[in-house]
Amino acid sequence: MSVRHAVLGLLAQRPRHGYELRAAFEAVVGGEENWDVKPAQIYTTLARLEKSGLVAEDSIEQDAGPEKRIYAITAEGLQTLREWFDASIASEHQRDEFYIKLMLGLVADAADPHQLIHTQRTHLFQELHTLTVQRSRVDPKKELARILLIDKAAMHLEADLRWLDMTEARLDEIKRQPLPEPETKPRGRPKKI
Amino acid sequence: MPLIQTENLTKVYGKGEAAVVALDHVTMSVNPGEFVAVMGPSGCGKSTLLHLLGGLDRPTEGSVMIDGSSLSTLSDNALTQIRRRRIGFVFQFFNLIPILSSIENVALPLILDGKNSAPAKQKATEWLRKVGLGERLGNRPDQLSAGQQQRVAIARALVTDPMLVLADEPTGNLDSRASDEIAALLAQVAKEWGRAVFMVTHDPRIAAHADRIVFLKDGKIVNETRLDAKDDRNNEAVASKLRALAA
Repeated sequence: MSVRHAVLGLLAQRPRHGYELRAAFEAVVGGEENWDVKPAQIYTTLARLEKSGLVAEDSIEQDAGPEKRIYAITAEGLQTLREWFDASIASEHQRDEFYIKLMLGLVADAADPHQLIHTQRTHLFQELHTLTVQRSRVDPKKELARILLIDKAAMHLEADLRWLDMTEARLDEIKRQPLPEPETKPRGRPKKI
Repeated sequence: MPLIQTENLTKVYGKGEAAVVALDHVTMSVNPGEFVAVMGPSGCGKSTLLHLLGGLDRPTEGSVMIDGSSLSTLSDNALTQIRRRRIGFVFQFFNLIPILSSIENVALPLILDGKNSAPAKQKATEWLRKVGLGERLGNRPDQLSAGQQQRVAIARALVTDPMLVLADEPTGNLDSRASDEIAALLAQVAKEWGRAVFMVTHDPRIAAHADRIVFLKDGKIVNETRLDAKDDRNNEAVASKLRALAA
């Protein structure tokens, strides 16, 4: 993703100018504390989309302030958006910084893996608590979209916590096993037989 | 001053070779109005700790002080008084009396303590309203959802105006939505109504409602975590997680 696709989606709803796009994006993601997109990023995205013919200038709005260029999505833009909707989104759970930290802690013998798990667990519980407090302040009758995102984060945290428990229970076993090493390939020209 | 203070609290079941140390020199405290969750694998001593705090069981060694009085120095009678008046209990399976209405179930602890029926029922009605069951006063437990039954049980725990509420897996028999609501209600018991709440749970989602989590393993405290970290780093961490998820 792709502020790019979000911009296309918002323009598919109706033509807007850059400032409006940023505000609309922020509203969808639940505030700039969740995902802060700088105005400059919106404008460069619009410029790139325009260059590729996915959006086009629709009109210019001129009131008291500086003039505002209003953009609309083109037929090609709708096509690109269609492709995005048709495609699935890959998850990224294999790229996990804590996992790398734990493995390196085990390999390098530089950190106590139990301590690493403990520190991480504390942090995850604090995050879960913060989310729980946030969720209790959101009105499910009006802000269900916000709750969906909070719930997703909370469910991921729960899974991470379960995984930490399981990992801790298996630490002694994993220490007995060799850790993954790269395959060693012979260097130079293969020997003649 | 803490409301609960334990010193080297130890419980050993059985003797000699067969002895099992359920709780091993646990020293901890709970402040008035604090919501504490206890987590740990089964058999870690969570329930034993809760029973000792509630005076339902006596320690092998060490002491429990509740509001300045040591439970071990009390006579059985005095202990019963404390259990009835100062401590409220909430259980996994609600433990309501099936043939009694909500009001009658909630009023029961007061009536057992010698109060008259009319003021007891009035007090019961007040608490049922506070926990959101003002419309279910005359219903029997089998006419209530599981979540509503646990609300009745919480009102019953609060009706004697205890300083401490002990909850043993209070959401263990509820679906996830009712669980969340009951945990939020217990947080309200602490935050709004000023009672200390000490809850045993195995569910991280439920524990996340608390102010602090105590982790037990093999009868010992292995970790204590404050959850209401005041610093912004935590909020920032949560925000970045949401950002990543929205991506």
